[in-house]
Amino acid sequence: MAAADSCDGISTSGGGWEKTVTLVSSDDARFEVREAAASLSQTVRRMIRAGGDGGIPLPKVDARTLSTVLEYCNKHAAVPAPAPESSSAEAAAVDLEWFDKELMHVDLATLCSLIRAADYLEVAGLLDLTCKTVADMIKSKTAEEIRQMFGIQNDFTPEEEEQLSRENAGVFE
Amino acid sequence: MASPGPSSPPDSRSTRRRTPVASNTGVLPPDVLFDVLLRLPAKELCRLRAVCRAWRSLTVDPLFTGAHAARHPLFLANFRDDQTHICVVDLLGIVVKRIPNADGHLLLHTSLDLACATTVRNSCQVLDPATGNVHVPPESPAVEHLDRENVRMPYTSFAFGRIATTGEYKVIRIFNRPTLAGFHQPHLFEVFTINISGSSSGSSHTQWRARQPDHFFDPSSAIVVGEVVYFKVDIVFDVLICGDVYPGIPLDCILSFDLEREEWRGILNGPISEIFETDKYAGDLDGYRGLWTQVTLADLRGSLGLVHYRKHRHMMDLWVRKDIDGGLWVKEYIIQIEPIFPTTESCVKSLFMLDDGRLVIHFPKTGLLFIYDPRTNTSAQVEMRHLDAVAMYTGNLLSLQVGDMV
Repeated sequence: MAAADSCDGISTSGGGWEKTVTLVSSDDARFEVREAAASLSQTVRRMIRAGGDGGIPLPKVDARTLSTVLEYCNKHAAVPAPAPESSSAEAAAVDLEWFDKELMHVDLATLCSLIRAADYLEVAGLLDLTCKTVADMIKSKTAEEIRQMFGIQNDFTPEEEEQLSRENAGVFE
Repeated sequence: MASPGPSSPPDSRSTRRRTPVASNTGVLPPDVLFDVLLRLPAKELCRLRAVCRAWRSLTVDPLFTGAHAARHPLFLANFRDDQTHICVVDLLGIVVKRIPNADGHLLLHTSLDLACATTVRNSCQVLDPATGNVHVPPESPAVEHLDRENVRMPYTSFAFGRIATTGEYKVIRIFNRPTLAGFHQPHLFEVFTINISGSSSGSSHTQWRARQPDHFFDPSSAIVVGEVVYFKVDIVFDVLICGDVYPGIPLDCILSFDLEREEWRGILNGPISEIFETDKYAGDLDGYRGLWTQVTLADLRGSLGLVHYRKHRHMMDLWVRKDIDGGLWVKEYIIQIEPIFPTTESCVKSLFMLDDGRLVIHFPKTGLLFIYDPRTNTSAQVEMRHLDAVAMYTGNLLSLQVGDMV
């Protein structure tokens, strides 16, 4: 039944019915997800609105990456509307921050796949999280340290390097 | 976990998308790099240009520099504790660049890729923050004004704008009337065209051009929106009201000067005076007399804005002039300034709108900067040294190529 329809209802732990959608990765893995969570992706949200049967195809995201993306979406969509100043809201924020941090404990190749997927799926929060993670790796490192970290060859001539350092001194402090 | 796992095993193409060695971007593909570098401040990026050619060409690509500037807006600042520099700063308060400013020139509140800074002794200079180049218009007045006593008085007012169609920049200079009481004696009004390219065009001007002044404007209130300079009415009207004389002109009406054609346009009625003592005017009344001093004009990304600050409530109404039905004022924002600061501020000095709709608000006496986010309807103080003057910088330090340096 679920395979034939992109919008099914499943029972939630609270006893109510919650709408779900089926997402299909590039390697044909199927994921059944709560619509609220899947809708954190603007791309998916648009496709849900457009309708269609047989699940929502996501040809640019493989199963391994998609499962991490959905882990993020499930966690973030579960957060209740913030009740300002309440201690539980604060605790939820701390928990979410910790979750995000843990999720980013992956290697660089995985991070790159996640950035691509977040960009394609338009999950703004995840795109920001992943990009900031890589940006933090780059921050306050020297050019040589960055080359080593990312496996980049220095393709400047010594004259060009000289010019670059002079240029930077002129533009910024 | 709420989501069931994949119904087929994840594939094992561990080396998929491995970029060819020839492109030399290592493990970071160009599209990913774009998203990542977008999140680093300009100063950081500059160092990263030295990593390799691919990184360097990305950081000077107009598509990238445009996106980066929108995300990390830059401002020009006169810090109160450093009168000998004009600084390029971001909204984290990080100084990106310092430009020598020996004579203590103060910035006009423009939003351009050049800045104009002036002194009370009538000195004026136009500054390119990227190159550090300075253009100084001549001190001598237009020939018609040579023998006028106004030109020897201090506290001259200036305005600075850009003509989009020609790419020219123009400075307006307004000499005060010789005596405050001399209401019948007009200000002296002059225009000067800045020749940025140096020698390329034939339209280079070396003289100030005298233009007819309008009798009823306040020179120091100028704000340039697009190609129009807007002024509040003359402070003399405020003085009349205080003396219980009704001047016949509402205190929030606005005069405007077409910078391209160099001629005056019609008078605009402001949004407030008409509703001032009616039910429509929600909020406390500080009295009509306070209106003139509480109002500041602003450029809201191409629309004229009128800021009405009510100090007892630390609150401001921001009216925006809409280009519909021949011009309509809409009270677009009601902004509560928080955290509330102990202050004697009676007005806002300048207000800027960022690409994402956030508003940056500068108070003159305390020198504090606030940022207001309409999406959350909250304001917060920007962590920054106190400012005497601030301008938005729409140019891009990153777009500079080798050889552009001074």
